[in-house]
Amino acid sequence: MERQDKAQDAWVVGGHRFSSRLLMGTGKFQDAETMVRAVLASGAQIVTVALRRVGRIPREDDMLGPLGELKGITLMPNTSGARNASEAIRAARLGRELCGSPFVKVEIHPNPHHLMPDPIETFEAARILAAEGFVVMPYMPADPVLAKRLEDVGCASLMPLGSAIGSGRGLATVEMLRLILRDARIPVIVDAGLRSPSEAAAALEMGCDAVLVNSAVAAAGDPVAMAAAFAQAVKAGRDAHRAGLMPQGGGTALATSPLTAFLSEEGQ
Amino acid sequence: MKLIVNGEAYEAKRHESVSALLEEMGIGGRPVVVALNDEVIPSSSRSACGLREGDRVELFRLVGGG
Repeated sequence: MERQDKAQDAWVVGGHRFSSRLLMGTGKFQDAETMVRAVLASGAQIVTVALRRVGRIPREDDMLGPLGELKGITLMPNTSGARNASEAIRAARLGRELCGSPFVKVEIHPNPHHLMPDPIETFEAARILAAEGFVVMPYMPADPVLAKRLEDVGCASLMPLGSAIGSGRGLATVEMLRLILRDARIPVIVDAGLRSPSEAAAALEMGCDAVLVNSAVAAAGDPVAMAAAFAQAVKAGRDAHRAGLMPQGGGTALATSPLTAFLSEEGQ
Repeated sequence: MKLIVNGEAYEAKRHESVSALLEEMGIGGRPVVVALNDEVIPSSSRSACGLREGDRVELFRLVGGG
């Protein structure tokens, strides 16, 4: 099984095997049809969703009905809206019942200005949910110390942010990501702030196991085309990582062509 | 029966079970999850789950999110 995994370059999270290293969010799309088509174009196998209270008057806009019918998709509810561990734990249990999936993205960001994840509440929620058997995927600040603590309490992966949600500021946390990657023994998935496929490729090149994008696709001019572009970029980045990037020079040049006189006979 | 549904006072005519309440609200067949007094009620238990005066019922559905 492990050899087959390596041949297909599958990755394993929480005991579940996936071939796609692109995760997709479903927020901010103009309409359900575009969202579903973008998810399909992305090849994503893990797709995040959120929970909201049902209104008194049941609404007909069922964004997610079509999504549930797609084969090979694991729905991952997030706990967005939760301001603390207790609310996140409650949301996780609701999400598990509704999705029938043990995956949960622990997402606790109490400040709407920057939407930065609360490290303390996230740790607490992750600890409890991991003990309850959830496949805990914590959305987290790109902090290598927190990463180790989350790994130690049973998280299935780490989801450090690239930059603030929806900001499109890319891999602002690149140096911290390198530190996290160095010591992580569970998959590292860059989540939030990506804007361009080249950033996703860069994340995979440096050794991240996957990326999660939402705004980068949903707010693109052509979300379906952008989703496909991200899929290609993630594959290119991953293939490059496996191929081994050339050593980086110290600033001086290293010629690739022989440094003899131009077109001279050898020795003359 | 007086209940609190999604934080608001609600007078339920049908209250013999959570399922009955959902049908009264027109959410019978819809994909929602029910929390009763902060406890998640598995969908398989809804028809057997009774309601009492003052119970807090919350209903959630899936929406798009990142």
